[in-house]
Amino acid sequence: MQVFELGTFLVSIVTFLIMFLIIKRYGFGPMAKMLEKRRLYVETQITDAEQNRLQAERFLTEQQQLLESARQQAKELLDTARIRADEMAREIVNDAQAESRRLLEENRQLIERERAEVLSGVMASVSGLTVELSEKLLRRSLSHEAHREMVEEAEKLLGELIC
Amino acid sequence: MPAFPYLFANSIFRINLITIAMMILTGLVVLIVLRLSIRKLDMRNPRGLQNLIEWAIDFTANMARDTMPSEQVVQWILPLAFTMVIFLFVANWLGLIATIAIHQQQPIPWLGITAQSLAMAHGEVPLFDSPTANMSMTLGMAVMVWVLSHAVGLRHPRQYFWHFVKNPLGIVEEFTNPLTHGMRLFGNIFAGEALAGAILTMPILFGVVPTGFPFLLIWLLYCGFVSTIQAYIFTILMTLYVGQKSFHGGVHHT
Repeated sequence: MQVFELGTFLVSIVTFLIMFLIIKRYGFGPMAKMLEKRRLYVETQITDAEQNRLQAERFLTEQQQLLESARQQAKELLDTARIRADEMAREIVNDAQAESRRLLEENRQLIERERAEVLSGVMASVSGLTVELSEKLLRRSLSHEAHREMVEEAEKLLGELIC
Repeated sequence: MPAFPYLFANSIFRINLITIAMMILTGLVVLIVLRLSIRKLDMRNPRGLQNLIEWAIDFTANMARDTMPSEQVVQWILPLAFTMVIFLFVANWLGLIATIAIHQQQPIPWLGITAQSLAMAHGEVPLFDSPTANMSMTLGMAVMVWVLSHAVGLRHPRQYFWHFVKNPLGIVEEFTNPLTHGMRLFGNIFAGEALAGAILTMPILFGVVPTGFPFLLIWLLYCGFVSTIQAYIFTILMTLYVGQKSFHGGVHHT
């Protein structure tokens, strides 16, 4: 009994190889191609997603920086505006104070002057009147000299009285 | 020993027709299943048979990754490993699902069915049988793998020969590996079929109680397990043998 069959041995190898080639070409090939396509697809998807994420992160930091700088600028602007406003206000107040002081001073001087004028007028007439009154009271006419002395005295006394 | 029909029965170059026919049938079954699975190929929503085949490819690839040094070699061996595992799986199961034999009284000399062989087989001529239950076929597969592994190894002759200088006992392995590789598959499948055949001849009590039935059921379940495992083992050993000879970790350009 021949157990080992050389013909079967060789022909089975050949048969298997033919079967393998057919199966590889028509059965395994399309499936492997599809798997490869899917692998590439998934890979590109992952790469794309990673790139997108990086880009988004970059944009976000950029925007944050931009926002931060804008905020800084606004704050600076506000600060300078406030300082300028303060200065202006102080100036205005100072000007107003100076103006009012000046007006006050002018008015005071005016009043003073008018008062002096009025006083001198009043004093002249009061002294004249006094002398005339004293003349009438004394019923004597005074000498021109005495008259002047009396007026001067009266003026002096009145001046003391007033002042 | 059943009387297989042979071509060139009287020469040294005799061919077991049933084995070869069953190999072609197995190949056709595999091809039809694969064609069905790729009929509605969908990259994004795989469904049905496509899922199963994708899982099988993935399983084979992982098996090869476990035993081979680099991803390039894995991708190179993947078509062969996948074909091998699914081919052997179908081949082993074909003999399990059914074995058909006819009773032939007349010798057919040109097919090698002689009176003597018919007498030895009690006139039984098998027509449907596992191709892997034939020792010549499994040894053929094993020797094919052996040749392939050495062809891969000889792409880097220096490392290939240095490998044997470093480990002279490896030369002995080169003879025992293909032998055990083929005989393991043959032995498991042949034993399964032989014992199943023996159980089938158990007597039927009172013409209604098949005494062999529970044994047959248990044995067939066990054979199914063995058939699956053997397809896996044969393929993983193939990737292992080729992987051992893949020097320089995958400088294979195919």
